[in-house]
Amino acid sequence: MFLAIVPAYNESDRVGSVVRSLLSYVDTVLVVDDGSTDTTAKIARQAGATVLSHRLNRGQGAALETGHAYARKIGATHVLHFDADGQFSVGDIIPAREAMKQAKADVVFGSRYATEKHNLRVPWTKRVLLRPIGKIVDRLFGGVHLSDAHNGFRILNKKALECIHLSHSGMAHASEVPALVKKYGLRYIEVPVSVTYHEYGQGVSGGIRVVRDLVLGKFSK
Amino acid sequence: MIIFQFLFILFSLFAIITVIKRKKDAVMSNVGTTFWIIFWMLTDVVVLFPDSTTLFANRLGIGRGSDLITYVSLAIVFFVLFRLHVKLHEIERDITSVVRKDALKDVDV
Repeated sequence: MFLAIVPAYNESDRVGSVVRSLLSYVDTVLVVDDGSTDTTAKIARQAGATVLSHRLNRGQGAALETGHAYARKIGATHVLHFDADGQFSVGDIIPAREAMKQAKADVVFGSRYATEKHNLRVPWTKRVLLRPIGKIVDRLFGGVHLSDAHNGFRILNKKALECIHLSHSGMAHASEVPALVKKYGLRYIEVPVSVTYHEYGQGVSGGIRVVRDLVLGKFSK
Repeated sequence: MIIFQFLFILFSLFAIITVIKRKKDAVMSNVGTTFWIIFWMLTDVVVLFPDSTTLFANRLGIGRGSDLITYVSLAIVFFVLFRLHVKLHEIERDITSVVRKDALKDVDV
């Protein structure tokens, strides 16, 4: 079973269309409503998704791990990480799965920087400032080398799903995934994906929080 | 007695009264109560007789007693801050775990 995990927090405007577009490409869409105060859960359910609700907002990493736990329970063979804000294109799913099959990879990472065409759509501050810093941070925290580690488009097979247990609740999970891929010697590939920015997303302050969480995470179990 | 000494002793008395109140409310253990009362009494001694710390400072190769107090206090404050950060991180993780269990409790397979 191919399961799409969509972590969502106050995404009532876009989650419905995201769920409907995903249903043609995966067997089940799971929306993990991360303590939204709007109608995200209701709209996602009406659109055809299975919905799990966090009573409190715990962050994207926590929502994804709840999705992983569900996927392990139902015996999913592959899971797709897909953002609820409509920034990804469902058109990238089939090429990513084919590339995964051909390369016999355990994990597929989407990349905004794999081709020049996709690269130019990324705000320059992210390309020139945040991306190089992010790469250094990921290298320091022991991840595999990726052109775009903080891209939320990923596909994991069953083996990867068993190995990758996210402990970071916030955005630091994006650095944790490559680190766990390296730790467990999982095979991985990067595929180009297009990203449409409806919002700027994670800025400098978000990046600082990621580093803080990664450092503190090193001191606790 | 200089103004600072007077104000500090007043503050430490307030702190000791708070500790005793907490003990009466059964919030603080015997060990905790004794530790904090001795701690505040010792700080009173140091504030009333600043030269008393110079003896220890000289043995450690530090010139002034007040410098020793500053170094030790800073080290303790940083250590406590760090412990609090780690503890907070662990509590956050526990909350996430409870929230996840709650979200998954109705999943039928």
